[in-house]
Parts: sequence; C-alpha cells; structure tokens
Amino acid sequence: MVNETYIPSTLEEALKLRAEVHAMPLAGGSDLMVQYRRGTGVVPEFPFPVMIMSSLNELKGIKKEEDGSVLIGALTTSAEIASCEDVPFFVRKAASLMGAISLRNSATIGGNLGNASPKGDLPQPLILLDATVVLQSINSTREILVDEFIKGSKKTALADDEIITAIRIPNVKYTYGYYRKIGTRKANAISKLSLSALIYVEDGIIKDFRVSSGAAGPKVARNKANEAKLIGKKLEDIPALKEDILNTHDQTISPRAMATWRRNSTRRMLDYFLSEVAKGGDEGIIQ
Amino acid sequence: MSMIEFKLNGKPVAFDGNPLKRLLDVIRDDFGITGTKEGCGEGECGACSVLKDGKLVTSCIIPVGAVGGCEIITIEGLRDTPQGKCLVESFAEGGAVQCGFCIPGMVMAAEALLMNNPHPTEADIRLAISGNICRCTGYDLIVESILLASKKGEGLW
Amino acid sequence: MSVTHIDDKIKRVDAVEKARGEAIYLADLKFDSMLYSRLIRSTIARGRIDRIKVPSLPDGYYFISAKDIPENGKNALKMIADDWRCFADGDVKYVGETIGILVGSDRGVLDKLYKEFEITYTEETPVVTIDDAIKNEAAPLCKENNIMCSLVSDKGEDINEVLSKAAEVIEETIETGFQEHVHLETNGAIATIEDGRYVIYASAQCPFYIRKSICGLLGLNPEDIVVKQTVTGGAFGGKEHFPDVLAGPLLLAESIIKKPIQLSFDREEDMLYSVKRHPSKIMFRTGVDRDGNILGSDIKVYYNCGAYLSSSYVVLQRGVFHANGVYNFPSTRIEGYGMATNTFPSCAFRGFGAPQTIFAIETHLDHIARKFGYDPAIYKKKYFLKKGDETVTEGHIIEDVKLPEMMEQITSASDYYRKSAEYGYGSGRGIGISFYNHGGAFTGNGEQAIIKGRLKLVKDGDKFTVLCGQTEMGQGFRTALRKIVASTLEVGMDEVVFDAPNTDLVPDSGPTAASRSTMIVGNLGYRAALLMKEKMNEEHAEVEVQYEHPEGHPWDQSTFKGDAYLGYGWGAACVEVEVDKLTNEVTVKGVWTSHDIGKPIDELIVHGQVNGGVMQSLGYAAMEKMENTTGHFKQSSMSDYVIPTSMDFPKQEYFFVDNPYPWGPFGAKGMGELVFNGTDAAYVDAVERALGITCTKIPIPVEDIEGLRR
Repeated sequence: MVNETYIPSTLEEALKLRAEVHAMPLAGGSDLMVQYRRGTGVVPEFPFPVMIMSSLNELKGIKKEEDGSVLIGALTTSAEIASCEDVPFFVRKAASLMGAISLRNSATIGGNLGNASPKGDLPQPLILLDATVVLQSINSTREILVDEFIKGSKKTALADDEIITAIRIPNVKYTYGYYRKIGTRKANAISKLSLSALIYVEDGIIKDFRVSSGAAGPKVARNKANEAKLIGKKLEDIPALKEDILNTHDQTISPRAMATWRRNSTRRMLDYFLSEVAKGGDEGIIQ
Repeated sequence: MSMIEFKLNGKPVAFDGNPLKRLLDVIRDDFGITGTKEGCGEGECGACSVLKDGKLVTSCIIPVGAVGGCEIITIEGLRDTPQGKCLVESFAEGGAVQCGFCIPGMVMAAEALLMNNPHPTEADIRLAISGNICRCTGYDLIVESILLASKKGEGLW
Repeated sequence: MSVTHIDDKIKRVDAVEKARGEAIYLADLKFDSMLYSRLIRSTIARGRIDRIKVPSLPDGYYFISAKDIPENGKNALKMIADDWRCFADGDVKYVGETIGILVGSDRGVLDKLYKEFEITYTEETPVVTIDDAIKNEAAPLCKENNIMCSLVSDKGEDINEVLSKAAEVIEETIETGFQEHVHLETNGAIATIEDGRYVIYASAQCPFYIRKSICGLLGLNPEDIVVKQTVTGGAFGGKEHFPDVLAGPLLLAESIIKKPIQLSFDREEDMLYSVKRHPSKIMFRTGVDRDGNILGSDIKVYYNCGAYLSSSYVVLQRGVFHANGVYNFPSTRIEGYGMATNTFPSCAFRGFGAPQTIFAIETHLDHIARKFGYDPAIYKKKYFLKKGDETVTEGHIIEDVKLPEMMEQITSASDYYRKSAEYGYGSGRGIGISFYNHGGAFTGNGEQAIIKGRLKLVKDGDKFTVLCGQTEMGQGFRTALRKIVASTLEVGMDEVVFDAPNTDLVPDSGPTAASRSTMIVGNLGYRAALLMKEKMNEEHAEVEVQYEHPEGHPWDQSTFKGDAYLGYGWGAACVEVEVDKLTNEVTVKGVWTSHDIGKPIDELIVHGQVNGGVMQSLGYAAMEKMENTTGHFKQSSMSDYVIPTSMDFPKQEYFFVDNPYPWGPFGAKGMGELVFNGTDAAYVDAVERALGITCTKIPIPVEDIEGLRR
C-alpha cells in the first residue's frame, strides 16, 4: 500500500489533512525515517499517510510568556532548545545531550514527545517540571500535562485529528537542581538512564521537591505522593526521611533490562542529591 | 505533488519524485554526486553529513520533501571554496585520513564548527565531531588537523 | 622532483581524493544497466529447510540458489578449508546463512519481493555459546562433539606434576565477547563480465582469496576470474575472507544473468550477517609458590568459531601461541579448542586470536599480583621474555626485547608508580598497565611454504610501477610501499606508481592480513628496488622477487614446533581512569603506550595506526557489546552496538623504541594488529583498581560493572 505524502504550508492546512486523512506529522524525521526505512536507494514506506511539517514556521521558536512560563513550538529543534537561555536548565541540559549535533539540528521537541520512546531525552525533565503539551485540532485546542499525554512506551493521548503544536513549561522555582543522563557512551548516545531532581527552599522550609526518572520503565517515573513527604520539612529533616523516599522511588521505577544497575544507580544518584542538599550548601545545580 | 525546489551546492535544482525519498539518495542517485556516504542509514554515524541552511545534518534521515527552499551544501560544494581547500589540505597534512569513508562527513562537521567558532579548542572540536564516527583513526589526528585548519585558515571563517 | 627519504614527513597519497569525496567506493560505482541484489538468508539457527516459497518474480527478476550451481561446480567457498557452503542446501546452520540471491533492477521491488519470501523449516536445537558447545547436550555439530579444531602447545616439565608441587593453584576463567568490525563502509561487491571474462569488483583485503574461493562454483580455475579491489573503507579483518560470501552468489548469478550485479549491505545486514571476532573462554590453573612466584600454568583456550571453519583454526593457533603473553614461565601447557556453534562464523579481526588470550593472561596476572600484594607492573616485569628465551612452541625469541625500556617510558610519562600507590583499590581512581606482543606475518614458515609472496617492479623511463596484490584499506600501505620503494631507489615518491590490485595484472604477494604487508611485502619492494638500482640506465626494466625464509629458523606445521614468528611487535600501555561510583561511568583520564615496531616507516601513518588500534581495544573492553544466546545477534545497529566517539577517550600519548628488524624494510616489523592487543587489559586493570572489583569478562559497560560491585 502506497500512502500519500503531504507537505502542508500552513498549520491550517496541516490540521485539515490531519482531520481528513489522519496524516501522521513527520517533524525532524530522526525517529520515523529510521523506523520505516527500507535501505539504500529505496523510499521509506509508512503504513499511514504522512505530512512533512518542515514548512510550518509558526510551529518553530521559543517564547517567554508573561507568567514566566516558556512556550516552545513543536517544531523547535533540540539544538535551538539547548542554546536558549529562557529554557529551564533541566530541559536545556537534556536537549544538549540528545544524540549528536547533527541529530539535534533535526530532532524536534514535538517529535520527541510524539514518538514517546521510553529512552526519549526530553519527556523526563518536562514531566519533572509539569510541562503541558498543546494539542490542536481543526475545531479545538486542549492542553494537557506531558505526564498525561505520554501513556506508555510509544503510546500517547494524541487523537487522530490532533497535532502537537507547542509545549509549555511553567516557571518552576528551585534552590537545588540535579540532572544526570547516563548514555550508551560519552556523546552521540541513547539514554540508558536519566534522573532529574529539584528542591525549592523558602525561609528554611522545603516548598517543593520533585524527582523523575527516564529510561527506567515504559514511561517517565514520578511519584507526587513520595515527593510530598519532604514538603513542609526542613533540610535537616532530610536524613531521617531519605531512606523511605529512596525506597518509594525505587518502587516507582520499573526497569526490565539492566534492572539491578538501573535501580542501584537511581538510588545512589537520588541519595547523593538529597545528601548534598541536606548539607545546605550553595544554591544551584549540584554536580 | 509539485516539484521540490532547493539549492544544491549553490545551484537551484528541482526534484520530481516521492518527497519521502531520503535526501541522501536524492543527492547520490538523482544528482549523481557521491562524496556524501552512507554509513548507517539511521543518523548515527555522520558519514552522510551535509549542511542544510548552514547547519550540520545527516542526510539519511531527512526526507527530500523537508528541504524545499533550503540551501544544501555537500562536500562537492565545499571542497573548492577557500575554506574547503584549507580543510582538505589540513586533513591531508595532519594525517587525518585513513580509510577515508567518514572523512567527507567529517570535513562538513569541521566546516560547521569553524563557521561559528573559528578558533576552537581541542574540546570544542571533539564535541563538534562527536556525531561523526571514525573506526580507523582514534580521532586524535582528525582533531589535530582541524586545529591546523583553524590556524592555517586564519581569516577564512 | 626531490628524492624521498624514509624519514621524510609525507602526506598520504590517497588523502586528498578521499577528503574531497572523489574516491570511488563500491557503492559509488555505477555500470550501465546494473542490477541490484539481496541475499535471502536463514532466519533460524539450525534446522532443515522444508520449503522455499519464492514470490512470483516480475520479468527481469531472478532468484538463484544452490540448485543453479552447474554440474561441474561445487557448492563451496574455498577459504582455508572448503566447508563454508555458498548456499545453504537442505539444512541451515546459522541465522543469516545464505539461501539464495535475489536479483533485479529496482531496489524497491527487490525489497518487496524479499519480504514476500516464505521459508519454512523444521527447527533443531542449536548450539550457540561456548558453554553449549562444551556441554554437548544438543546433537553434536562435529562427529561426536562440537570441537571443530584443536591443538596443544607446551614447554617445561609436565604441568600436572608442576601444579601438584605448587603451594597453591589459582584457578580462574576469563571471557571475552563478540566484536564487530564496524568498518564505516559496509561489505559490498559487484560482478560483471568484461572482455568475456568474469570480473568481481570488491571492497576487500585479499583479491586473490576471492578468485580462489569462488572459482569452484562454476568449475573454473582462479585465473578465469578477475578481481579488482575498489577503494576500501576500512576492513580490520572483516574483509579478509568474508567478501567471498558476497562474491560467490554474485558469480553464480552473473553466470546466468550476464549483466552487472551489485550487492551492497546496509548497516543492519552488516551488523547481523557478517563475521565477528571470536568470543573466548580461557581457563587458567596457575601454580604458585608461597610468595606468589609462578611455577607453571595450565591454560585451556576455547574460541567460538561459529558454523564454519573459515580461518578459525589459524586464529586459534595464534591464540594459543600468544597465550602466555610476553612472559616466560618455567612450565606452560596450553590446549586450544575451536568450538563449532550455530552462530555466524567468526573470522579474522585485527589481532587474529591473539587479543583474547593476551587479555586473559594480563588480567589473570593482575589478579595474582593483587592477591600477593605486588604492584602488577613490578610483578609482571619479573617474567618478561628476553632474547633467546624458549617460547611455547619450543622456538626462541630471536630479537632484543625492549619491554623494560618501554615500561620505563610509559610509567614515567603517566607517573604510574605514584598513582598506583596513591589510588590503591577502591578510591574511584585507578591506573592500569599491560604488556603485549604480536607475532608478525604468517606463523612459522607459512610465508615460504604457503604464501610464496611475489612482487614485481617495472621501470618505464623515469616511472616505476610496483605490482603486487597488497591492498590499501585505510592502513596506509599504498603510501608506505611507495615510500619504501622510492627511498630505496633514491627517487621521488611521485615517480613510483602503486595502484589498487587487479588480479590479472599483479603477481600474488599474499593477503593483506597478519600485519605482514610492510614487514614481508614491504621488504619484497625494498629488495626489488635494490635490484632495480642496477638497471637505472635502462629505459625499460623489470625485476621480480619472491619471499625467502631466513635460514636457521625451522618450523614444523604438523607438530607446531619451532620458531612460530621471526619478529614480534611489542607493546606496553597505561590507562588512567576515574569512575563515578554513583553510575559506574568510567572517564579515561589518560592513555600512554609504547610500541616496538622495529622502525616506523612513516611517522604519521604509524601514529594513526596506534591511535586507531588502541581506540578499538578500549572500545572492545569498555562498550562494544554484541550478545547472542539464541542464535540471533541482539545488537543490529550503530545505536545499540556502540563504538567510541571523539568524546569517549582522551588524546593519547605514544612512544616508540628503536629496534630495527633485520629482515624488514629499513628495519620495520608488523604493527597493525599489535596496537590492538593490549590496551583493553590496562583499561580493565584501571577500572578494577578504581572500584576494588575483580573483572573476568569483557566488555564492561556500566550495567555489567554493577554486577561486580558488592
């Protein structure tokens, strides 16, 4: 079966194609073109109609909103995200470690979310920050949490008439932050495991604590009930609460392959972050 | 479907065919220039690197339909420019070339780096070519050769 | 034109055309009305083929298989033995075994047809791993067991008696995994007919191997086929015998279709369906006295050879002959077993069997040293081989061994002793050290008895053409040989021509393998040039030389006794690491090596060889994981089988020692494989020390290090 391929020149046109023929948006191509390749000299064959999104300039670019949130167009590349100061550290860092330079020049945030690979780099920090995804169809627009959008490995809540048009990252304050990606090698690497964590302290009281794990299960793992255990507490309470938090986070992740290493490393990294924070040192990113 | 028009190595070209065809295949088969190599077919090795509007991309994962209106530069479009000549000469002089299969892509990566950073450090260079896999050299002489180009080509970038 | 001197700094002759993208590799070659092809392969590891349902083929499309071999032809590729069938027939022995070749003009149509093939099998229980093969529970692949080939080497006293008198016998098993070559250019070949003769264009190391291997399919002689080497984008052993597996089906198809036919693998095919480095399992029983001094070692070496012999017996021999590393133990007994399994046949890969046993002995000695409280460097030094020492084949070390000097170079440059003491075990930082060697060229008198390499030098006016079968695959030999000949003739390099071989035009100088090109064929070039110097006044002159084995170095191939190698390359390496105890991520802080390669023919070329070989060795130890427990390789792409990038390891510091080799050109010895043979062990030593762990199996990516931590 040969399916039609479209190159819409406006979002309106794209939304119409999406509604009428359910054309699959092809953004940077770094996932779809690989998944459906057929070898040298042979045109990739997709089991569905495809629309090449590259002309839709209205879906490109990063905007800082008045409320401090950041709106990133779905077709913004990882390279653009990595080099934009307005984007929160966790997302910028993850974008800067995605694949290699050439990949980052092609791969888009919309594509990374739409593909919903458990090894995807961007969902993990986006879910940490309660980012939302803007889904547009010809008749409506809705905005849902990335955590709700990604339902599992390669599964999303995208309706067959919807397009991801933007990702909104709220302004999340933090006193201490931590981000680690362990890849298959030092660069040009697929994630084997990642972890983000942040703690916000105001007047000596922990107001916010978040931790999310990537590549440690079918989707990004975050447990708000576990995070709540630290909220309202003081830094000096951390040592007493730490073991329980580590145990609960361990139950939150569900790695299958490399399970021992993924569990132990996750535990050690989170332990390290909490222990460093408990020391109450200088604010910022813990290395 | 209308023709896909873009610039290839400075010349306007038009492609009349399936827009999902890989840019790499279009360059090699339809336009018959073979300096751009296929190493992996999944955007991992960098052998098929070209510049798309001045940015380094792997042409094996880009459908030709995504380059309408873009400017594509391959090794054939770079090698006779002053910058290209300097890079080729430096790669030869610095011993960067062994089997050579990764080298056209590596030269494109070096060009993309020097365009933005004419005086890179060793670390800058290692980062800039980290998407270009070489199995022969261990990279040291490639890094040295790019450093050499940035010195020899002072003022070119 | 200025005269080229051997010590001149020169540019590689192929660098500019390659950097400009002008070099024509196999996939860049186009012929009029060229057809494309795909191999139809077995999808199971072992079983009977019940039925092949060939899809209905449009006009101009062909499916060719064993049934198409003519009556006077034999379904065999003649490598060293001729057990490797060109096409599976009746049964299949491994996943990926060629069943047939599908040919046609449109690659899209071929892809569609390929997916429409239906082959049904009656599956049998496969033998996959070395352990499976040793256990011998499934139906055996050889007569009674799974031992495809074996040999024994020993020296000194009876090893069982030695061990019975030892204060302690230390038993340890060391294992290494598959390694894939990942030459950036995948395998490819084209068959065509030119002037009424079959011609094979191939990305290959050994054009003469190809014609010998495939001619029997059509009942032809090797001379009836022409092989032309195309610019070869890396090989590392992966294109030594393996191109035969492409050229065979192509030749048969060509005999029927008579149009140019191209077969070029994509990366996934090249990963899943090509030869690999032999996985190994090496078991030591080493007897020591109370102070940890070694009295003798009983070593059993098992290599996973896969379904066909290919070069495995020779690989195994080299493994056995290198199994005591660079050391002289009073008594040693080494048994080597090549195990048949239902995996893709293993074949040549830089080092050719030596890296596995050298890694094993280095790691084993590190563990003994640690157990008895010695610094591994000092412990190992006590056993360094010296000139005149007896080898495990009852031969002798012929040359000066400069390991102490090399050790001094790398330990000073890396500040080894201070760091070794300061970091200790388990501090998160570690420095490791290893020593290694590699016997140059074919084993024993193989160069004279088997290869009989010949080289011809032709003078036409002031142009000199070197004719031999050596190939350039990235290692620099096209440049090196021109440099050797030019500097011997005292002419400029530009006056010397040496092109990619065409088997019709050049004499057979033997394969481009075994680190023999510079040492053996380079010396033929040197000798030919010396003879040519007598004829410099003649307008046209030709000289031809043949290899001559130096006298006084006997070898008996039936008993494996004598001087196995006339010259070894020697190496020493230090690697310093820092390990993140949270994640097990290893950061290499420094790499220092020293090599004795006789004399470097060209500073830049040998620099590149050292860097590249060392990097492959580091990748082998650190990250290159290729798993196969079911008959199917688990890794199939460059994203799941990862090799090092420019960011993974730092700039290397390297040294050479001067130790001219009497039978090599300007004193040069082999080096291409040597530089692979030992850095892996230094890396593992460093990681073990950093984390206070004991590692007996490579590779060790983060998840495998986890299992070693308490």
